[in-house]
Amino acid sequence: MSNPLVQLTAVSLEIKGRRILDGVSLTAHAGEIVSLLGPNGAGKSTLLKTIAGLLPQATGTLHVHEHDPRTTSPATLAAQRVYAPQNPQSTWDYRLSDLPILLHPRIASIDWFAHFQLAGLMSKKFSELSGGEQKAAHLAFSLSSLGDPYQKIILWDEPTNGLDLSRQHLVRTTLTQLAQAGACVLVATHDLTLAYATTQTAVLEEGRLIAYGRPQATLTPEIIQSTWGIDLSLLASK
Amino acid sequence: MNRPFLIYGLSGLCLGGLILLALSLGVAGFGWGDHHTLLILRAPRVVAALAAGLALGVGGGAQQGLFRNPLADPGLTGVFGGALAGIAVLLTFQSEIAWRQTSVLPLAAFGGALLASVALVILGNNKSPGRLLLTGLGINAFTAAVVIVLATLSPTSRELLTNGAYGDWLGLAAFRFTWLPCTLCVIASLCLFRFGTVWDYLSFGPEVAQTLGINLLRTQRWSILLTALAAAAATCLVGQIAFIGLLAPHLARTLIGPRHRLMLPLAGILGATLLLAADTAGRTLWTSTPLSAAGVMALIGAPLFIWIARQHHV
Repeated sequence: MSNPLVQLTAVSLEIKGRRILDGVSLTAHAGEIVSLLGPNGAGKSTLLKTIAGLLPQATGTLHVHEHDPRTTSPATLAAQRVYAPQNPQSTWDYRLSDLPILLHPRIASIDWFAHFQLAGLMSKKFSELSGGEQKAAHLAFSLSSLGDPYQKIILWDEPTNGLDLSRQHLVRTTLTQLAQAGACVLVATHDLTLAYATTQTAVLEEGRLIAYGRPQATLTPEIIQSTWGIDLSLLASK
Repeated sequence: MNRPFLIYGLSGLCLGGLILLALSLGVAGFGWGDHHTLLILRAPRVVAALAAGLALGVGGGAQQGLFRNPLADPGLTGVFGGALAGIAVLLTFQSEIAWRQTSVLPLAAFGGALLASVALVILGNNKSPGRLLLTGLGINAFTAAVVIVLATLSPTSRELLTNGAYGDWLGLAAFRFTWLPCTLCVIASLCLFRFGTVWDYLSFGPEVAQTLGINLLRTQRWSILLTALAAAAATCLVGQIAFIGLLAPHLARTLIGPRHRLMLPLAGILGATLLLAADTAGRTLWTSTPLSAAGVMALIGAPLFIWIARQHHV
């Protein structure tokens, strides 16, 4: 197998005396899609941000594309990975058609926006879009900045959050296509349908990685009972 | 027709017409007047107003982009106050040097503006847009106090400093004093244009901007340095003047959209237009008691400021 694109060993992080990540070790290769699951506050978003290089105070060993994201320049990292936050925002009310121009003024392409069913909305302003459309626009923006997905890392925080069923399905198929094209994808999510479409699932609880493996093998009734406190056998009997 | 092209063409034409009007209007009535009136009295004043307006429009847009705050403006965030306080310190303690060596004045203003900007970033830059403005309010009050105290201490510069606080320095414009601040206004504005894309990326939050390859710390340092320079140079020309840095970018965004590379140069043109219009109106509508450009701007700007604040739900 090729070298891993993301390799974490015993990564921990404390913010204001609170331990958010506690000795997380995780490896992901090109062609893999890793879903990060866990209750609210388990450290999913923090783990994504740490890999993205946004939290230089994290301890442990981090290798992203053989660089340490804590010390590598933003420009170098930007050529290797994209990151889309959970709740994207914009101070200024851009039109959708502005977004591809911001990334590539001369060769702006709306391909990814069309892919996320936004081609007919390009002349609209952000404030005129629904929450789900805004989220889809930010995903398209993120992929437009990616370029060729081969050997790139995609870090998305709750990508299906707020999307309608059709766009949720689109996110799943898109991530699969990107992984097949040689990208390494990590998504934090609460969406079990998305988790089942990934190749690996990591379950986090209070900053610790408590299960890792294929989603079918990882998301067992026992793990779901112990992590979220939901008894699946009760739900099934109703 | 291409909309940005049309808007730039029209605003350029407006500004050109206004320049001609400003050159031909004066106490002596309408007309070019003699050589002395035109070149010694009016031309330096017009050039100073244009340069300061450019720096104010671009500097305001830059500060709004950097702080991701539609209500940021060097006049409201205390940076102008800092520049004027710097000038006050110089005039009080080293006034002979200030008059002998004209380049010292912009330097003192730059020092004051930079101090105020750094204080603003350290004390007031967090997620809430209100905190930035409240901190600016505090800095403004403090610098105003410094100016008042120093003006009281030094009777020789008292009138000059009070006029500066009223934004009434354009009338003193003479090329011997203004060439350096004018040049600095233009240089700072041109440098600030280069940050357009960075502020566009910042709009999506610092985290997204950083993952798109922006070095946040370096961006912040340069933006603050250049906005302080623009504000300081403009202060040397006009004194303290609020609202142009707020209104010009806001108008530009309304006309041409929020993309900074397109919007900032237009904000500069509109800033120059606003300041020249305010100054020309102030000195010609009430010829017996000319009103300062800052006075005219505040009369128009303050209600518009409240309107913009309501629009953005701050």
